[in-house]
Amino acid sequence: MASPTSFQSQIYRSLPEIERADAIVDRITKAIALGLLKVGERLPPEAALSEMFGVGGATLREALGDLRERGIVETRRGRSGGTFVVNQPRTQTDTIRDWFLSTSISEIRDIGDEHSAIAATTVRLACERAEAHDVDRLQELARALVLATTPEARAPADSRFHIELAVSAQSPRLTDAEIRLQEETVRQLWTPFAVAFDPEQATAEHLELVRAVAQDQPEKAQKLVLEHIRRNIFHLIDTKLTLGYAQSVQDDQ
Amino acid sequence: MNPTTEVVHAASALASWIRGVSTETEKLSRNVASLLERNLLGKSKVDKAALVGLDEVPREFLTKNTFAVGAGAFFAAESVEEGGRALEWWSRKESGAIGRLDFDRTPGSNRYYDYEKLPFFSTAASTGERTLWGPYVDFLGFEEYILTFAAPFSVHGNFTGVAACDIRIKDLEPLIMPILRVIPGDAALINASNRVILGNSGMYLVGERIKSGSPDQHRIALDVPHLGLSLIYTT
Repeated sequence: MASPTSFQSQIYRSLPEIERADAIVDRITKAIALGLLKVGERLPPEAALSEMFGVGGATLREALGDLRERGIVETRRGRSGGTFVVNQPRTQTDTIRDWFLSTSISEIRDIGDEHSAIAATTVRLACERAEAHDVDRLQELARALVLATTPEARAPADSRFHIELAVSAQSPRLTDAEIRLQEETVRQLWTPFAVAFDPEQATAEHLELVRAVAQDQPEKAQKLVLEHIRRNIFHLIDTKLTLGYAQSVQDDQ
Repeated sequence: MNPTTEVVHAASALASWIRGVSTETEKLSRNVASLLERNLLGKSKVDKAALVGLDEVPREFLTKNTFAVGAGAFFAAESVEEGGRALEWWSRKESGAIGRLDFDRTPGSNRYYDYEKLPFFSTAASTGERTLWGPYVDFLGFEEYILTFAAPFSVHGNFTGVAACDIRIKDLEPLIMPILRVIPGDAALINASNRVILGNSGMYLVGERIKSGSPDQHRIALDVPHLGLSLIYTT
C-alpha cells in the first residue's frame, strides 16, 4: 500500500538488535549452505550461543525463532533435546521458482496491468518534469544494465532505472508504487530459468525511453514503456508456463 | 507592464524569508568549518578526532530553525581519511525528536547514496557559492519530497564539503503560502530551472516546469543571492 509511512519505514529500518538477529540467521544459514553445519547436527546450547555471538538471550531467541519459521532448524525438548538443523536453507533461485509455481498467469497479467497504469503516467510526467540533470542520470542508469555481468546484478540495475524514472517525474507516491512493483517482480525477470532475459534489448529500450523523455514526447514515451512492460510480462508468463507445466507433467506421471 | 504593489510586496516578502534560510545555512556552514579548523590543527584529512563535537552543530540548527527537517554536513571524498565518516546528518523525526540519519555509503551497493553526484553538492562544490536544489524526491537519502539549501565550506583554504538543510515541501507550503495568496492572480515561486516550488492556485503546481511564457505571464527575479529564484504571475 502506498502511504507516506512506507518511506519512513525504509529510513528507520534497522534497529541494531534486529540487525544482530538477522546477522545470526545469515551466519547459520550460510554455514548450512556451505556444508559446515549438516542436517541432523545439534547447535550448541542457547547460553553458549548467546555468549559466542555476544548477544542477549532475547536476540538469540529471535534469530532461532526465525530459523524455525523457515523450517531450517527444529527445537526438541527433553534430555536429548536442543536445536537441530533439519533442512537445507532454500536458495534465492528456489524462492523464485516457488513464486512462479504459486503465482497464476492471471496474477502475472494483473501485475502487468498495474505496472502499465503506473508506468504510463510516470513516463508522461517525466516528459513534462524531467530536466537535463535527470536525463543524464537516466542515461547513465540505462547503460549500467548492459554493463552488469550477472543476473544478480542486472535485477537491481533494471529496477533502479525504473525507480529513478519515477523520481524524475517528481512524484513520491509513484516512486513508492514503482519500488513496490520492482520488488515484486524484478528478480523473477532476470533469474535465468527457461530462457535468459536479454540485457541488450532491455537496455536499448531503456535508452529509447530516455530519448523520448529528453525530447518531451509523452505519446511516444508512453507507447515505449507499455511495450517494454508487455515484453517483461510475456517473459514472466513464458517462464511460468515452462516451470509450472513441466512440474505438473512430472506430478501426473 | 509594471508589477502591481501586491506582487512587489510578495516578491520582497518571499525574498526576505528565503534570504533568512540561506543566511542560516551559511552560518551552519561557517560553524562546521570553524569547528573542523579547530579540531584538525593543521592536519589535512578529516578523521575521527576532527569530528568531535560536530554533532552539536546540526542539532542546534534544527532546534533553532523549526522550518527544517534535516541538517548537517557532507564531506568531499578526498578530504576524508580513508574509512572515515563522510557525513554528519541529523533529522527531525515524526515524534519531534532529533536523531542521526545514516545513509548507505558502500559503493556498488544497491542503496548507495552517492551525494557527491547530487546537484546540491556538486553545484555548491563547483561554484563555491550557496545553492538551492529541489523540489526533488530524495531517493535513498531522506526519501521525501524536499528542498535542499546548501553552502560549501573550506578548511585552511581548501574546499572540504557542503553544509545543507532540508525543508519538506509539505512543511514549506503553510510557511510561504500566505505571502503568495496576497497576489490576486495566479502566481508561483520558481527555482533556477524554471520548476515550480509553490504556486497560489492549481494553475502552477509544485514540481511542474514552466516551459514558455505566454504574453500575460510575467516574471520578477527575487533578491536572494546565487539561488536563481523568481516569482511568476499572470495578469
